[in-house]
Amino acid sequence: MKHVFEHPEVPATGRRYWRGLEEYAKTEEFQGWLEREFPQGAAEFWGDGVSRRNFLRLMGASMALGGLSLTGCRRPEAYIVAYTKTPEWQIPGKNLFFTSAQPRRRGALPLLVTSFDGRPTKVDGNPEHPVNQGKSDALAQASILDLYDPDRAKQYLNQGRRSNKADFDTALLRIRELAEGNGGATLAVLADETLSPTRARLRDELLRQYPQMTWCVYEPLETGNQRAAVKVAFGLEGTLVPDLLAADVVLSIGSDFLGTDEFGFKPQRDFAKRRRVEKPGDSMNRLYAVENRFTNTGMMAEHRLRLAATRHVAFAAALAREVGVADLPLAAAGGLDGVDPVWVREAAADLRDHAGRCLVLAGPDSPVELQILVLGINEALGNLGKTLRVRTSPAPGNATMDELAAKLRSGSVESLVILGGNPVFNAPAGLGFSELLGRVPTSVYLGSHENETAKAATWTVPAAHYLETWGDATAEDGSVLSIQPLILPLWNGVSQVELLAQLAGQPTPEGPALVRATFEENQGRGLSGQALDTAWTKFVHDGFWPTSSTLTTPAFQSGSAASALANLLKPAPVLSESALEVVIAPSYAVDDGRYANNGWMQEFPDPVTKLTWGNAILISPTTAKTLGLRSYMDRGIQTSDVVRVTLGGTTIEGPVLVAPGHADFSLTISAGYGAALGRVSQEGGFSAYPLRKDICCLSYPGAKVEKVGRLAKLAVTQEHQSMEGRFLVREAPLSEFNKNPEFVNTMGIDSHAPKNFNFYAPPPLDSPLQWGMSIDLTTCTGCSACIIACQAENNIPIVGPEQVKNGREMHWMRVDRYFVSEDFNTDKVGPWAKADPVYAVDPEAVTQPVTCMHCENAPCETVCPVNATVHSEEGLNVMAYNRCIGTRYCANNCPYKVRRFNFFDYNKRDVLTRSDFLGIGNLYFGPLGKKGSPTAVKMQRNPNVTVRMRGVMEKCTFCVQRIEEAKIKTLVKARDSDRTLVPTDSFQTACQQACPTDAIVFGNIRDEASAVSKRKQLPHDYAMLNYLNIGPRLTYLGRIRNPNPKMPGADRVGMSSLKDVHHHGGGGYGEKPSDGKH
Amino acid sequence: MANFFPKWTLWLPLQFLVAAGVVGAGIAYGVTYYFTPKYTRVGYMPTQPVAFSHAIHVNQLGMDCRYCHTGVELSSHSNVPSTQTCMNCHTYVQAQSPKIAPIKASWTTGQPIPWIRIHKAPDYVYFNHAVHVNRGVSCYSCHGNVNQMEVVWHHEPQSMGWCLDCHRAPENHLRPLNEVYNLDWSAETPAAQREMGMQFVKEWNVNPPVNCAGCHR
Repeated sequence: MKHVFEHPEVPATGRRYWRGLEEYAKTEEFQGWLEREFPQGAAEFWGDGVSRRNFLRLMGASMALGGLSLTGCRRPEAYIVAYTKTPEWQIPGKNLFFTSAQPRRRGALPLLVTSFDGRPTKVDGNPEHPVNQGKSDALAQASILDLYDPDRAKQYLNQGRRSNKADFDTALLRIRELAEGNGGATLAVLADETLSPTRARLRDELLRQYPQMTWCVYEPLETGNQRAAVKVAFGLEGTLVPDLLAADVVLSIGSDFLGTDEFGFKPQRDFAKRRRVEKPGDSMNRLYAVENRFTNTGMMAEHRLRLAATRHVAFAAALAREVGVADLPLAAAGGLDGVDPVWVREAAADLRDHAGRCLVLAGPDSPVELQILVLGINEALGNLGKTLRVRTSPAPGNATMDELAAKLRSGSVESLVILGGNPVFNAPAGLGFSELLGRVPTSVYLGSHENETAKAATWTVPAAHYLETWGDATAEDGSVLSIQPLILPLWNGVSQVELLAQLAGQPTPEGPALVRATFEENQGRGLSGQALDTAWTKFVHDGFWPTSSTLTTPAFQSGSAASALANLLKPAPVLSESALEVVIAPSYAVDDGRYANNGWMQEFPDPVTKLTWGNAILISPTTAKTLGLRSYMDRGIQTSDVVRVTLGGTTIEGPVLVAPGHADFSLTISAGYGAALGRVSQEGGFSAYPLRKDICCLSYPGAKVEKVGRLAKLAVTQEHQSMEGRFLVREAPLSEFNKNPEFVNTMGIDSHAPKNFNFYAPPPLDSPLQWGMSIDLTTCTGCSACIIACQAENNIPIVGPEQVKNGREMHWMRVDRYFVSEDFNTDKVGPWAKADPVYAVDPEAVTQPVTCMHCENAPCETVCPVNATVHSEEGLNVMAYNRCIGTRYCANNCPYKVRRFNFFDYNKRDVLTRSDFLGIGNLYFGPLGKKGSPTAVKMQRNPNVTVRMRGVMEKCTFCVQRIEEAKIKTLVKARDSDRTLVPTDSFQTACQQACPTDAIVFGNIRDEASAVSKRKQLPHDYAMLNYLNIGPRLTYLGRIRNPNPKMPGADRVGMSSLKDVHHHGGGGYGEKPSDGKH
Repeated sequence: MANFFPKWTLWLPLQFLVAAGVVGAGIAYGVTYYFTPKYTRVGYMPTQPVAFSHAIHVNQLGMDCRYCHTGVELSSHSNVPSTQTCMNCHTYVQAQSPKIAPIKASWTTGQPIPWIRIHKAPDYVYFNHAVHVNRGVSCYSCHGNVNQMEVVWHHEPQSMGWCLDCHRAPENHLRPLNEVYNLDWSAETPAAQREMGMQFVKEWNVNPPVNCAGCHR
């Protein structure tokens, strides 16, 4: 009789983990997801506009054509083209590492860049730098692809027509002549924020030449409110630096400090350090989050309050009252209706109990009154100087965006130089920047793409990527970083400092001359000759120049704060279904739009919504129901109503996406999509910028929503690769962990299952090297840097929005995001959006990175008919692509659903092109389709990893190329000795290397000194789906949380998977005979 | 009833069978012989753009492999020398010889010399030179007596089975590290080679990978 595996029953009631609303409502759609190896649609053609029959016809025809020309029977003649002159340091086949830095608006990221034969291929953090210690994030990882973006600006343009450098030089000379006549009154510079000391030096040089010149620094998602609040509260120019290492309790009001680059890397890493728990009795920090939408920070929080953004000020005032802030006019902020007063009171009490060891954070771009209030609260709690300090820094320019706009309006500016950014696309709509730019007689735009601004400016100069130029930048800790070129400009790009030097009338700089001059003025001051050369070489080699800390703790000026608040505070607007709030948020994927033409970032699943290729209007389930908006699965594809959002006379259209945990009567729209940068950016999403009225604010009340009467299909991956919910994520509050440190192994079936046995002989794991991985769910923030690091390292292609909808995305690593909520609803079966649902209004959220587990008794291996996937003696489940014939049996048998199949030739074919014929995607034409991806993109490929072709199964290899490289390195060193064992923790996998919170650890589990062995010794180490007896090499550390028992709902925090710990009622497994249903 | 078929037709089926057998055996032999790496690769000896003779440079002049193939001990790839390397000597030696003309042209124009590739591992195979030569596998084992070749030719099949022959029994090819680049060296007898090899396997802890990931990534 056929043996049918009976999985343990999922209890029918109680708190549950769920990924999407479909699972929550247990729709038939979702059941389909669970039972399939690949998402519905992945292995079918009906979703693609090409029927199977048509496809076979096409294939038949193309095969017949292919057969006519019997070429390729003989070996083609290939050539070895050696250098004529050998470049220094270059050994063919070996990579080189160079330090550099990625300029960012709030502190550049120190980098170590890998280069193969002159091609930069991968970007990672600089391990020597104290800020990120070798760690990076998804945006840094993806920036390498921007270098090779074929849509980058490549030529000088004048009035939209092709021009050349000589003509531009003449035009620039004329700008100089004009400015010289009036001390620069007619000259204005509008620059993005690069924090470059050299740029600052050239700015000062220009201001000496043209004292009347306007210099404005503008970043689309920076309001400048933090600087304003610091000025009011402390009377000086500077920015705030939180110290999360010293904070036991953190309360964030609308701050996503674990997500979108608000305070940098150090706070993230410090937060994780304080959160890691190894044994009972270890201390752990506690996080409260107040936010309007789920963010990475909110997902990590013990206690989360969903609150519309325009009411955050009222919350801060209420908190200030509870904390006992005197001297500030709190009454003006009005009351805080609809929020449990116990929440505020107990949170405040907890903060007071940890006075001087706690921290209240507001987002740097939140309203200025909120930030002043929060500074007042921190002052009252005695946190200033302990967990919150100020770094003084001069104001970046001599004019704000508003002042520049006024000058443009008055017509006094005759020449405008725009350095980077895309202000025509993203400047606040209230400024009417596009129209103002039209009034300027000569405008020069130095930009990376021929975007909206390039089209509006009179001159466009192609900008160089940061990997193509010499430069410098300032890190978040104030240290100066060097930027060195790894490749000559691919499209003749010019750097900002080169253009500025030209504007200042300096000769064309040779190599690093400009940066070196700045270095000599600052760090190299007092040095000369050999000593200066040595210092400079060290600066470029190390990538940074350490600086002594310049943090200060100025006195809080309550008088000035009180008078400012008296003017600013007003009661929060009333929100209703006809007066909604709109929040414009930075996108986790494309930031403010600068990554919009980056295929990796477009296909990057948003850590919270899991939306790819575009944005949506996030709305709470209750509000969606009130407004009658639908968002449901249609044949496996997220389908949503398209709505029109009207705010103060401006309308935008976009699909809604029902977001559990979102505040009611609030809409969140990710900015940055819809820019016209190139082909990729046109694939999805719409711009939120038209709704932004002015530079000060990112949230506005008073919006209306109406249905357009159309449905849109969204590429959401949240229910792809769903596994049945049997204690996949295990969590407990700290108190429970202290009582029962091994709680993870007493859950569900693991608490009472008898010891299992093997049908198959286990593979001989006889090597002293046994690879394993551990992921700490307590410190995983869900940031998904690992996904992009893996993509960059392992040559993973993008598949395009249509294929993502069909569930064919290729990411080897996924980060599952589960919502957790009360009352798993078993009665309301049926498409919830069509019937009457009970919504999951206010869930918790958990993230869990999942990649190939490298099971010791791998189920995939036993079913492969051609032995394409086999076990190595080092415990790796290896894939031999050249053996794979694409039966997909392995994926079918993988309980973790981590295998990916190349349904098409994503690497060889252009995935975004559609043919004129019925708009069918290029991929469907098989051999007749357009071949080839742009050459530039191929230059990013890692030469140590096979580029896979159609019809081949692939999956995480534990970065086997790095393992082999480490082994070979050891053997080459060993020569005729027997020291052949790879040193402990001498290399990292790509995901581990990127992970900003060190949640991922990899190494030799047979080596007791390795970090991964130590992790696996911890009491809360568990294996997912352990009862299957497949021995996964990737295990997890259970998620431990630290709720405040006095808070409302504290008894539920982290309790969900504990519910059935000691009295699991489900039946046994493997006992029942087949009932014929399977 | 008359005989419709003459008597000799009785033999036709047998003749057909024999003929089919002969033809079939021929095809089978042809396929197995001509489609093997041994036939398609071994002996491949293209005419190079420069009439470079390893025999002259190595045997006559006594140059070491690593003078030109500088990366072999360090990298996965054993590089073909840059034009610069040739010019180190040929600026002075045989500078006017017409055989050197393509090298000088490359040096003056900056156009690299298009050497024709002889040994080619497929894209999904990641062979590493450094780990072999540093652990006692001589150039000879994979490339033959290059030092005696006027024109380089493909000496070994370099198929996967051939690789595995050695990975499963490395003792047949290991030699003292100071003899790795001496292509004329060989052990006295195969038995002596085996014995010495066994000793190296033990002393050096030689354990060549035979799983897929060793070469396929």
